[in-house]
Amino acid sequence: MKIYLVEHAIGAFAFNDRGELVDYVHNNKEIGKVVDYLLENEEGEPLPSSLELVKKVGAEEVVVEDEREVQKLQAKAGVKVTYATSHVGARKFRESLESFALSTHFASTDELYNYLHQLSLELTRRKLRKAAQRRDLLAIQAVRAMDDIDKTINLFSERLREWYSVHFPELDKMLEDHRQYASVVSRFGYRDAIGNKDELVELGIQEAKASRIIDVARKSIGAELSEADIRALTSLSDSILRLFQIRDELNEYVDSVMREVAPNITALVDSSLGARLLSLANGLDELAKMPASTIQVLGAEKALFRALRSGARPPKHGIIYQYPAIHSSPRWQRGKIARALASKLAIAAKIDAFTGRLSSDQLVDQLMKRIEEIKTKYPSAPPRQESQKQESQRQKGKRERGRGDRRRRGGRRR
Amino acid sequence: MSEVVSIYETNMLNIFRCEFEDGTVRLCTKNLSPGHNVYGERLIRYNKIEYREWNAFRSKLAGAIMKGLKESPLSVGSRVLYLGAASGTTVSHVSDIVEASGKVYAVEFSPRVVRELIMVAQRRPNVITILADARFPQRFRTLVEAVDVLYVDIAQPDQAEIASYNASLYLKKEGHLLLAIKARSIDVTKEPEEIYKREVEKLSSNGFDVRQVVNLDPYDKDHVMVLAKYEGK
Ligand SMILES: C[S@@+](CC[C@H](N)C(=O)[O-])C[C@H]1O[C@@H](n2cnc3c(N)ncnc32)[C@H](O)[C@@H]1O
Repeated sequence: MKIYLVEHAIGAFAFNDRGELVDYVHNNKEIGKVVDYLLENEEGEPLPSSLELVKKVGAEEVVVEDEREVQKLQAKAGVKVTYATSHVGARKFRESLESFALSTHFASTDELYNYLHQLSLELTRRKLRKAAQRRDLLAIQAVRAMDDIDKTINLFSERLREWYSVHFPELDKMLEDHRQYASVVSRFGYRDAIGNKDELVELGIQEAKASRIIDVARKSIGAELSEADIRALTSLSDSILRLFQIRDELNEYVDSVMREVAPNITALVDSSLGARLLSLANGLDELAKMPASTIQVLGAEKALFRALRSGARPPKHGIIYQYPAIHSSPRWQRGKIARALASKLAIAAKIDAFTGRLSSDQLVDQLMKRIEEIKTKYPSAPPRQESQKQESQRQKGKRERGRGDRRRRGGRRR
Repeated sequence: MSEVVSIYETNMLNIFRCEFEDGTVRLCTKNLSPGHNVYGERLIRYNKIEYREWNAFRSKLAGAIMKGLKESPLSVGSRVLYLGAASGTTVSHVSDIVEASGKVYAVEFSPRVVRELIMVAQRRPNVITILADARFPQRFRTLVEAVDVLYVDIAQPDQAEIASYNASLYLKKEGHLLLAIKARSIDVTKEPEEIYKREVEKLSSNGFDVRQVVNLDPYDKDHVMVLAKYEGK
């Protein structure tokens, strides 16, 4: 018998030369599996359901739609294979996709399209991941560059503060924020030029503070500077502002790359914390292989090894301490929230690395519920005794830790 | 921004005109994913329904309608194969027009823009995203069905052939083709008018009955939108 084979996401269908359906084999409804099959099918590999179907109907000749499939199907099924684009079966099937899905009991119309929609998203994300080829490395480099810039900004700002203090020493204490400080120096130069409150407010300084700065500037005890002195200073403050700008741009860039390579992780924690996790793990695939307990302390390796050596309490959290619900919660809740977050992150990393699925809504929901639960179950600090015991244990740990450190130093000398 | 005075349906199904207080008139569609816009377009609430402004400078189909396209082949429930979906600007409006019971099979081969396209598709269950090259339609045969409308906007020199090939596989008989032609991407050395004529001839010899050729100036310079009906080969 000669059949016209139609391959579709829902399965393999065999038609005769009058365009009548002879038999069919549905695909597995598990989307992840079907994505694998379709990816291979695009390269000319027959669907597993097609092989089963050819055997099932005992076909002697099979007409396929894609030329590249001819040889592969011939070799695998041991039948004669030819190809014709848009053959009778293909036309028939695609004109009535819905009714074939219904009559073969694959799914209702709604279910069918829901399935195709999900499948197309997952398939596309998988293809993007292939095309992306380790775009996670770009996010990692960019977030490391952000950290370098932060260090540089701090270094330059400290220098600027010391230097400008020769001229306007009182400002240092009044403006803690490096960006605002550099903006004031760049904008006004001479402290005497600081006279207009609105201009200060424009730089993001609060009104009351702005008034005080103007007041203090008038009475400053700093030294007078020449034009050239001021120019040298403002070129440094300009550079600091430029660094802030680059940092903002990198932040936005990291965000867009993270949303693409790790959408589930990025939904749980923000993109820069997500990128830092990738950075500490050295890549998305590496992070995906880690158990939750490792993710929980990523970035606190030093404290962890110290604890392991000395028997002190292990750290409860590494870099994920930056997660707002951890650092803004009372101390006794932090470890529990950290554990909950780490376990969701471990799942998210696996989904991001190995599938194209977007399950972030569920993950975020579950995490929020768990955090709520922790907050209501442990509203106050554990009883005093408990905490005293813990405290003394920690002291013991500290002492031992000290010894351990010394031992290690001795070892290194050898 | 100026207030909305009224919104009424045009002679084309599910395509609306919105009049503003200052006298300007813009196209809009009913938002299938309320609360979300796609390319920064304005969301408008009117009589408890949310519409999205449809910018004719950003979407060639809107441009064609503004410039006098006589009939729209899109209706509620239409199946559409859209080649050259890019980041989903026009796709999103087509998705609004055909509503939840319609389907838009959105094909695009550039991973860069598909990253944005899937963000749009996530919110629109009637958009099926396909990352593939429109030149090889067999490669996406497992995801599509026969369609009522083939929309082609791929800015390729051989797009008339690509459109015809896709039509022969997936366009229903009596179905419609909307083809955007960008003169410069076909041949920079020839006059646009000459290029349009030649492309239309190609379509005619491939089983299309060309109904209308709409010049998109000033929305898109040296572009036309062709509406044709498929008679089959
Ligand atoms: C002018 S843009 C389309 C704009 C879009 N139709 C809209 O109005 O929102 C052309 C798109 O076609 C895509 N394209 C070009 N050749 C293609 C091909 N052979 N297969 C799939 N997409 C293609 C390009 O990557 C580009 O995104």
